Amino acid sequence: MFAYYLRLALSSFRRNPGLTALMVFAIALGISVCMITLTSFRAASQNPAGDRAGILFAPSIDSWDPNDGYDSPQTDADTGRPVAPTMLTYRDARALYASNIPDRKVIMYKAGGIFSRNDKGMEPEYISTRMTTADFFAMFDVPFLYGGPWDAKADAGPDPVVVLSKESNQKAFGGANSIGKTIMWHDREFRVVGVLNDFEPVPKYFDVSNGSFNDMEGAYIPFSWGQVLELGSDGNTNCWKTETIESYLDFLNSECIFFHGWFELRTAGQQLAFREMLDNYVTEQKKHGRFPRPLNNYLYDVKGWMKRNKVVDDDNKAMVIMAFAFLAVCLVNTVGLLLAKFLNAAPASGVRRALGASRRDIFWQHLTESGVVALAGGLVGGLLGMAGIWAMRAWYGQFIDQVPRILPFDSMTFVIVVSIAVCAGVIAGLYPAWRIGRAAPASYLKVQ
Amino acid sequence: MEVRPILSALLRNRAGAILVAVQIAITLAIVVNAVFLTQQRVEKIGRPTGIDDQNIFSFNSTGFEKGFDFHAMVREDLALMRRMPGVIDVTPMSHIPLSGSGSSSGFYSLPDKKGKNEPANIYRTDDHAVHALGVTLASGKTFEPDTVEYVSKESQGWPPTAVITQDLADALFPKENALGKVFYDDQSKPIKIVGVMSHMHGSWVGWDKVGQVILAPRVGPGPSTSYMVRTAPGELDRLMKDTEIALRARDPNRVLNNFKKMSDDKRKSYGGDSLVAITLSVVTGLVLIFSSLGIFGLATFNVNTRTRQIGTRRAVGARKRDIVRHFMTENWFVTSFGVVTGCALALGVGYWLSNQFGLPRLDLYYLVGGVLGLWIVGQLAAWQPSLKAAKVSPAMATRSV
Repeated sequence: MFAYYLRLALSSFRRNPGLTALMVFAIALGISVCMITLTSFRAASQNPAGDRAGILFAPSIDSWDPNDGYDSPQTDADTGRPVAPTMLTYRDARALYASNIPDRKVIMYKAGGIFSRNDKGMEPEYISTRMTTADFFAMFDVPFLYGGPWDAKADAGPDPVVVLSKESNQKAFGGANSIGKTIMWHDREFRVVGVLNDFEPVPKYFDVSNGSFNDMEGAYIPFSWGQVLELGSDGNTNCWKTETIESYLDFLNSECIFFHGWFELRTAGQQLAFREMLDNYVTEQKKHGRFPRPLNNYLYDVKGWMKRNKVVDDDNKAMVIMAFAFLAVCLVNTVGLLLAKFLNAAPASGVRRALGASRRDIFWQHLTESGVVALAGGLVGGLLGMAGIWAMRAWYGQFIDQVPRILPFDSMTFVIVVSIAVCAGVIAGLYPAWRIGRAAPASYLKVQ
Repeated sequence: MEVRPILSALLRNRAGAILVAVQIAITLAIVVNAVFLTQQRVEKIGRPTGIDDQNIFSFNSTGFEKGFDFHAMVREDLALMRRMPGVIDVTPMSHIPLSGSGSSSGFYSLPDKKGKNEPANIYRTDDHAVHALGVTLASGKTFEPDTVEYVSKESQGWPPTAVITQDLADALFPKENALGKVFYDDQSKPIKIVGVMSHMHGSWVGWDKVGQVILAPRVGPGPSTSYMVRTAPGELDRLMKDTEIALRARDPNRVLNNFKKMSDDKRKSYGGDSLVAITLSVVTGLVLIFSSLGIFGLATFNVNTRTRQIGTRRAVGARKRDIVRHFMTENWFVTSFGVVTGCALALGVGYWLSNQFGLPRLDLYYLVGGVLGLWIVGQLAAWQPSLKAAKVSPAMATRSV
């Protein structure tokens, strides 16, 4: 029966090609706009940490101005308390890093400098650099092309070791295995211990303060070199307190924030212990005159962290809503056109009824027709959407910071989008199909 | 014009009429809000920056070798570039306006953190900055060349003079002439206002204090600085290349990078806003097209199914004009019903958007415009089908379809 309905549907399209094309096009456009905005939304809101999302935690300590809270008047959605800073002071980063509770831990910040080669084998180049600790690579599941991470002992040294990105290794060593070779940075020799493979989590969740969709750093160097070389931050630095800063040490010991800390806490017990440790630490520091605000600490998992930092911006959400409203207009339009089309062909249905087709047969026949229109609309819309995503990737990706540079495209999205189209189209066809099924055959036969 | 037969005809074709009305209602809600949001973005993007942003490029110079003399580099670079034909002026700059990267701090109108407290974008630069940026001075003048400090350490408090924007002047000293007045940093160091710029954009175009800017006469300590080069119109592309070549030749032992046009920085900074504006405009256009096609389709269908009725009316004396008027009026009723529903929906959506995303409340002018627009769209879409109806011959009354 279904095959017969399909044949009927196709012959109906041939009778009204313009109307059919209009319906297909309406669904296709509605669907493609939804697909483009949804992809962008999903890229921004996806979980880049995989199954590690639930065990990686970023602390947020309220070290801010007693009179003017951080991001005031924003409050935390869950607790209703004021939010706390999204970065750490040097002292606090160091103190948390000393904790034995986490399985793994990392403190880091963004710096930069000129890389060059002693043998003049490369053009000296400014490369942004992540000053970090050994666990970074294991914690964030960083893939290596050559070599591997440095070990914890290199952090303590600090040893002059560097991990290069694939791109930097290409610039400095032409892409060859450079393990054991040296490269100059801030006029010192650093030994290459690892070269990364492609590594670009979207969003860049471990450092959203410097742009959730910013480029990855070109090199990774042990954290303590930042203090040895007296490097400031190449990213965001925020300060609130009036302090006399005359040396780099003053700056490190100030209330300025530019450090990030992440901690791997596998069990609920560890998480609880870490939270308690945070509160105890702050209470202890209060005795030394720090932390003038009420006790207000947070420990965010990856999802909570992205929410706290508003990685998905409001524009992005508004666009998704707009896109679905547009799809709604397209669908209402389609309902109207289907109704017109079906009622136009009502005499034919009258004949079929007279020849013994039941109301249900007529209903199913027309619903099949709606389904075919919707499927065509979905497929065309899917292709249009792919073209749109491709265009966004090519044009806007490198151009607009607010949009993820990499818009993931997967066949799953395509399937989902086409399914939405078919469901929506069938729902749109329900009323017209029911209406035509209900019409009395006699009234059509009379005038025939 | 007798309304009753039109209404009763309408009531017999409820489904089609309701669909058109629903479609118009949703269309109105989308279009009115989308145009309103687009308009805000367009206004934001179109604000004057106060800077000659079409004729400026910037780049970065960083020394990296031991014993590198940063101050000598800056002085020699500036002298060389200022001599180049086509260059109007050059200034060293700690950050690039409109770039999204910058520095800001809070300032006070009185010492000891008293009086007005206002944040400002800070640029450390030299006495050529005003000219090199192409900003206009509302009063006062720019720095005297001998007041520009070349410093060897980052933190040495503030230079004693500043050129600030009118926005900042008004914020710190409302209703007073700020020129010659003194304001204070958070360590109570006094800073005298020697010049007031009419307007200048700072680094973050999304910041509501983007127009509060301070230029401070200080260069250093290095080893890195940005330069901003203002060129004669049409000379920018050529000079971007020539400058790099000339500076490399003068001193190869430093890294020159990040050559970019200010217009590109500007475009990139407003990228999110223009993406929103473009998307909304496209959606608005498509919604309008589809709505009118939908109304057209249903009106045509309506005429097709009622040829006998039309024929009868014609046979009993209705003129062609009456038929057209009948269908146009019918359409107007349906559109109006949709428009009224749509107004409520549009206001609801506008209220929700402003609540959810902290946007300004929907301006009612847009609603009035949307209603008028949709009335016209509805009538236009019904025009051709109505004419078609008028062509139905009176003989149709006696014939079967």
